[in-house]
Amino acid sequence: MTTTGKIELMAPAGNFESLQAALDNGTDSIYFGVEQLNMRARATINFTLDDLQEISNRCKAKNVRTYLTLNTIIYDHDLTIVKTLLQKAKEADITAVIAMDQAVIASAKAIGMEIHISTQINITNIETVKFYAMFADTMVLSRELSLRQVKKITEQIVKENICGPSGKLVEIEIFGHGALCMAVSGKCYMSLHNHNSSANRGACKQDCRKKYTVIDQETGVEMELDNEYIMSPKDLCTIDFLDEIVDAGVKVLKIEGRGRAPEYVARVIKSYRNAIDSIEDGSYNKEKVISWMQELEKVYNRGFWSGYYLGQKLGEWSKGSGSHATQKKVYLGKGMHYFPKSNIGEFKIEAYDITLGDTILITGPTTGAQEMKVKEMFVNDIKGEKAQKGDSVTIPLEFRIRPSDKLYKIVENKVEA
Amino acid sequence: MVIITLQRAKCIGCNYCVELAPSQFQMSKKDGKSVLLHAKEKKGFFTIKSPDKTIFENSIKAKEACPVKIIDVKQV
Repeated sequence: MTTTGKIELMAPAGNFESLQAALDNGTDSIYFGVEQLNMRARATINFTLDDLQEISNRCKAKNVRTYLTLNTIIYDHDLTIVKTLLQKAKEADITAVIAMDQAVIASAKAIGMEIHISTQINITNIETVKFYAMFADTMVLSRELSLRQVKKITEQIVKENICGPSGKLVEIEIFGHGALCMAVSGKCYMSLHNHNSSANRGACKQDCRKKYTVIDQETGVEMELDNEYIMSPKDLCTIDFLDEIVDAGVKVLKIEGRGRAPEYVARVIKSYRNAIDSIEDGSYNKEKVISWMQELEKVYNRGFWSGYYLGQKLGEWSKGSGSHATQKKVYLGKGMHYFPKSNIGEFKIEAYDITLGDTILITGPTTGAQEMKVKEMFVNDIKGEKAQKGDSVTIPLEFRIRPSDKLYKIVENKVEA
Repeated sequence: MVIITLQRAKCIGCNYCVELAPSQFQMSKKDGKSVLLHAKEKKGFFTIKSPDKTIFENSIKAKEACPVKIIDVKQV
């Protein structure tokens, strides 16, 4: 295997919790949406314009690049807000914008903002790369390309010396992990058709994830299908062939999931960080891959497949509408106080119970997503082994918490066969 | 009396309400979100009360089409 330089790991940041979780687990860059013009517009967790500076500051402190997603289709009435968003992002020193619509590309170019081409553009060949090199330094290729096709494109970029506006060679980005959908590069009409809720305005209702039967209209005969989830692919996972992705000359690996929980971001980023570092130092092997896969299976997933990268495998449909995660979180209560000198956190238990030895998860906008085992605890100021609803609990922590942080315990999730 | 409410902050700017009830809604060229014309704002909710019952039918269509369900229409 020949490594062609360290690949950049890009994390989804749907809110400050996930942003912090990504930073704490070694991401190289993050992408996020502000206001309504991004592919997760429906999520109420989107950042607002006022958050731009905080996002930029937090990431710059860790030398992490920041990308604003502005990749929906754009109508005439959006043109002013597009310009406002880009201007504010530039003022806040956000690294680049991820764009799809030519209006966004033109507006970003006009103010000298770095541009990345979204997968929504559906780049599948070298001539299109050449075309967009007039505007962009990084391009996400179509999710439907094979790794062989990706490699041909990256080799051609070097051979023909295709450079972006920065004067450097164009960098190729691909999706590395997370949800895939039926539609080519996400360009789907189903949600719009059924609910007036356009996927291309970030409001996908995910009808493809539901269970369907096929009925012959003439006879009323219901077709039997082996798997009713005929339109819902499994989630993409590339950690088991990440060395081949690096070898294909890919420079940026995007992790999908701006709608996912912070502990999802924490675990996925940590696993891929380890994998990338292992490839770099030559210690990437099967045993490690198995342990990373086990880690990835603990959080939200629809089962895994390798996408189209290793050739088109048909029939890789998810077997259910929900997650196959082996673990789940149960809400226990909230943070009350942190004693910095003794590194102890105080929590109010509002539901269920907590027992010595439990694995707990604490999430918050500044705390991110921190997981640990409870080795010692005090229940209403007395050393104890179990606390229940209504109790106040203090626990020695390895990290700082804040009032209003949420406390969960991690329990096994029984997955239906 | 027809009462229309718009929870504006959650608007994703899809334009359907304008298509279906153009006399009540307009897209803002400033922030790309829907504007309920002549409405009064209270805690993020924009409301109009109109004695004109003819606006009910189109407004209900806008309510039903809204993908983020932020329009409410009542007749009292």
